[in-house]
Amino acid sequence: MSRPAAKGSISPPGLTALQAALAAEQAACYGYGVVGARLAASAAGAGTADADWVAHQLARDQLSALITAAGATPAPAPVAYQLPARVQTSAEARSLAVTLEDGVARAYLALVAVPDRALRALGSRELTAAALRTAAWQHATVAFPGLPASALDLHLHSYAGMS
Amino acid sequence: MTDGPTRRAVLVASAAAVPLLVTACRGVQVLGAPPPPAPDITQLRSAIAAERLMIGRYHQVITRAAGHQATVTRLTALLSEHQQHLALLQARLVIPAGSAAASPDGSPPAVKPVPADLAGALSALAADEQAAARRLSTQLLVMPPSLAQLLASISASEATHVPVLSELRRTS
Repeated sequence: MSRPAAKGSISPPGLTALQAALAAEQAACYGYGVVGARLAASAAGAGTADADWVAHQLARDQLSALITAAGATPAPAPVAYQLPARVQTSAEARSLAVTLEDGVARAYLALVAVPDRALRALGSRELTAAALRTAAWQHATVAFPGLPASALDLHLHSYAGMS
Repeated sequence: MTDGPTRRAVLVASAAAVPLLVTACRGVQVLGAPPPPAPDITQLRSAIAAERLMIGRYHQVITRAAGHQATVTRLTALLSEHQQHLALLQARLVIPAGSAAASPDGSPPAVKPVPADLAGALSALAADEQAAARRLSTQLLVMPPSLAQLLASISASEATHVPVLSELRRTS
């Protein structure tokens, strides 16, 4: 079945990764609403949550536009999400923010693996943005943002056959 | 059963073998001068060299920061992340046995000196991190997928060092 002409502008894996990144951004938009609500009482972090929320909304809209421009249909966001843990205190809200950024970072890291250069660049840029937000929430940096610990071993071996 | 198709197949196979033989001859001729490494190997080597330089710079700045214990502690934590970057990058570089390229571990890189004052040194380091993050984000565009992801992650990590260094500069 043929699609509109622009479809060829993005590879099938690129489109799949874009949809996954969109899903992560949609979850972040929902989750940051909760983060912002829980932090509203305490001044610390509330401004950050608002700014991050806006950043995720912009990123979500950008991804949607890219998918549409490629002739595909952006997958709609679920009506609601199951939060990974109870969120009642400020500490729990901050922890949710970190979890959301983690999901976003992993989705953008997947985008870095697609053949389309422009999408790789986008993935790299947004991975950096997610890492900066995570570092701000955690007051700490990590050596490999977006890479789960298990992937570090895989990285050691997956190209062992390459000369 | 006729032998026509079989003969044709043999002829085709012979024709296909000719370029292979020619290639093989050429291969023998260039044995003395190995072909240049693949672009991704070149980029990986450059990323490794950049991490080594960065580690050298951190050692210098940590020396400058002697007496500022909190600053030394933060810098040491950032340095350790660079050491992890270097370890993983080196693990990805598969050097053929007996190759001259096995030597980069030997000599330490020439590190340009950091500014004498701590604030200036921290600013220089922040600029280095920013430049390194940007360079990696360009290099990853031409890398195989898995290596591109590693470089993207390292680039993001180095970008997160910039605000830490800027904050250290403000408070030092």
